[in-house]
Amino acid sequence: MIAHAPILAIVLPLFAAFLMPLVGLLSRRYNVPKACDWFAIATMIGTLLIVADMAPSVWNGQILVYKLGGWSPPWGINLAIDGLSIQMALMIAGLGTLVIIYSAAYMQRETRRDLFYALTLLAITGMMGIVLTGDIFNFYVFLEIMSVSSYALIAFKRDSNAIEAGIKYLFIGSLGTSLILLSITMLYSFVGSLNIADLGAKLAAYRDGALPVPTILIASLALFVTGVMIKVAVVPFHTWLADAFTAAPTAISALLAGPGAVVGIYWVARLPYLPFGLPVGIILVSLGLLSMIVGVLMALTQHDFKRMLAYHVISQKGYMVLGIGLGTLGSVLGAQGGLFHLLNHSTYKCLLFMCAGAVLFRTGSQKFDELGGLGKNMPMTALMFLIGALAISGIPPLNGFVSKYAIYLGGVEAGLPIVTAIAVLVSALTFASFFKAFSSVFLGQRPERLRETQEAPNMMLFPMLVMAVVCIVIGLLPALGFNIVGPAQAAAENSAGYIGHVIGGI
Amino acid sequence: MVELIWDPIVATAAILLGSLVAYGLLRIGHKISKPRPTSEKVKTYACGEELKPEETHPDSEQFFSPIRRVFKPFYRYIQPAHTGALNTYLLWVVVGFVIILVIILLTVR
Amino acid sequence: MSFNYTIAMLLIALGFYCLLFKRNLIKLVIGLSVMTDGIHLFLISMGYRTGGIAPIVTGELSSNLPNFASSAVDPLPQALVLTSIVINICITALALSLSIYAYRHYGTLDPSKLRRLRE
Repeated sequence: MIAHAPILAIVLPLFAAFLMPLVGLLSRRYNVPKACDWFAIATMIGTLLIVADMAPSVWNGQILVYKLGGWSPPWGINLAIDGLSIQMALMIAGLGTLVIIYSAAYMQRETRRDLFYALTLLAITGMMGIVLTGDIFNFYVFLEIMSVSSYALIAFKRDSNAIEAGIKYLFIGSLGTSLILLSITMLYSFVGSLNIADLGAKLAAYRDGALPVPTILIASLALFVTGVMIKVAVVPFHTWLADAFTAAPTAISALLAGPGAVVGIYWVARLPYLPFGLPVGIILVSLGLLSMIVGVLMALTQHDFKRMLAYHVISQKGYMVLGIGLGTLGSVLGAQGGLFHLLNHSTYKCLLFMCAGAVLFRTGSQKFDELGGLGKNMPMTALMFLIGALAISGIPPLNGFVSKYAIYLGGVEAGLPIVTAIAVLVSALTFASFFKAFSSVFLGQRPERLRETQEAPNMMLFPMLVMAVVCIVIGLLPALGFNIVGPAQAAAENSAGYIGHVIGGI
Repeated sequence: MVELIWDPIVATAAILLGSLVAYGLLRIGHKISKPRPTSEKVKTYACGEELKPEETHPDSEQFFSPIRRVFKPFYRYIQPAHTGALNTYLLWVVVGFVIILVIILLTVR
Repeated sequence: MSFNYTIAMLLIALGFYCLLFKRNLIKLVIGLSVMTDGIHLFLISMGYRTGGIAPIVTGELSSNLPNFASSAVDPLPQALVLTSIVINICITALALSLSIYAYRHYGTLDPSKLRRLRE
């Protein structure tokens, strides 16, 4: 166990982000062209090793509590890592490493790569901070770090589409985080503490209707739910996501769709239990159903590759929110399915965005009408895209099938078979839309100007290969996934254990 | 018996075995009569007319027109509602917040 | 005391009005800034204690700490507001620089004209 491991997982990408312009300056002075890329990759591998070091002790049932500056909770800020946090931290570190390896190849034509890596590492710091922290205002600060870095990254290319997408994301995202700040304000005025475990302990009296819930707590919960749902991008708060993922550099779309989805779903999984204990199950189920349907129906008529993938992100996030909502209605398998779907979705969505990025990198176009017949030129990319498309549609023996099956069973277990029927229909429509994408881009006749396109560079193929192998392995041996997700779901529900460890173990 | 077939590893082994058998049959068939693709044979059939490769690509917006017809209410109202104007999107956020507030008030009280 | 809260809610409502109904990107940035100022005013007024003293422990106050603690204004919301002001400066700077780029590309600052990405 590395000493101070929890805080190192946040501090390492943060310091690397601020050292990055210096590394860029040195690399230009001494003419070492790829120094920034190797520095970023080394940082992310270091973060992954630190997080993996914390994992065994958390899975043994211990909740790691790290007090910043030696101040014990509830007067000081502490980091608290339980099963749910460790699943999210592993996903951020692992997928973040693969995305940075991919962007080393994808951004090779950019000149100011040191600024790109600085912003990306800041975004990863923000994500890591959100899932590891135990203090609600600290969560707000890390949320803003992640959001502001991603506003700048979306507008990185500075053409008209990117600026428009950046402006829309900035205003909608800032509104969301302001609502979260207002909610934290109202909570503080009512309870008097900012520590999540302390809030949970003091608000436990209102759980299960023992006391009448005061209006300020209801307003605070509604504001918090709205702010988190804007980050998760469920309907009707989803409008920023399609534009942002279309116009961003594809490495950033992969980063925000894979690890970025983790932070929203982390808070959605915690919402029904900590710090408010109030029932939000019906909101989660209805928003999840709405997102699934609207996302896939909008995706069926798109003519832009990345925009279609972005609408599928909205649809799959509906699955996750639905699964967690079914968990509050009494179905354990539903909650595990929702968290497992997060694990699977981040893997195959990163893979799909990377394939789209490889096609864009080699051909210069991301619209279906200008592409075609690339299966002969880019066989490995086509194979990876096929694996990703089968995984997202829920076809066995890939990993999407396991998590979707868990959500279907959860729907029946919670007593809502109509939910299962709608989920199966949405899976079928997802498969239809990827059928169209695959045949438009990789099959069919090849236009004359694309005759000379080559296969994607090796450094792009390596992370795609790793993710495809993970998809297949988790599909064949789902017990590996359930070993990660089972403790996560148990830790999310076990709010009394969390409170006891953080406050009781001073 | 059902448990034996429904195990994911056994099912995957069966899929792989089936695809290997199919590939073997395909190879034997190719040895018997070799495939000789000429450019005339591989071109798309267009009743004798000349077609450029760009024209054979299916239009990506009209690809699923039957599904558009089935889900007509959605495609008439909700798809055009994604206008792209920032003020409309912010209005959706406020309306969504009000609906969530009302739902929480009704379920908690 | 409730005067502060009323003004804070009024500022938040004004900020919402600007964000929803104004047709100029600069006005949207101003609306966002007004709204966050309302939230900051709300947060600071929450920590106020009528007739309280500033929460700084100087020489003569350090001898009677329980008396100091019961008569001082709450310092925690002030720290939170400082953090939040800094964050909002970053967002305002980023929003204004993006507006400059938008003016160069589109020739207008009207957000209802920034509609190349739709549906």
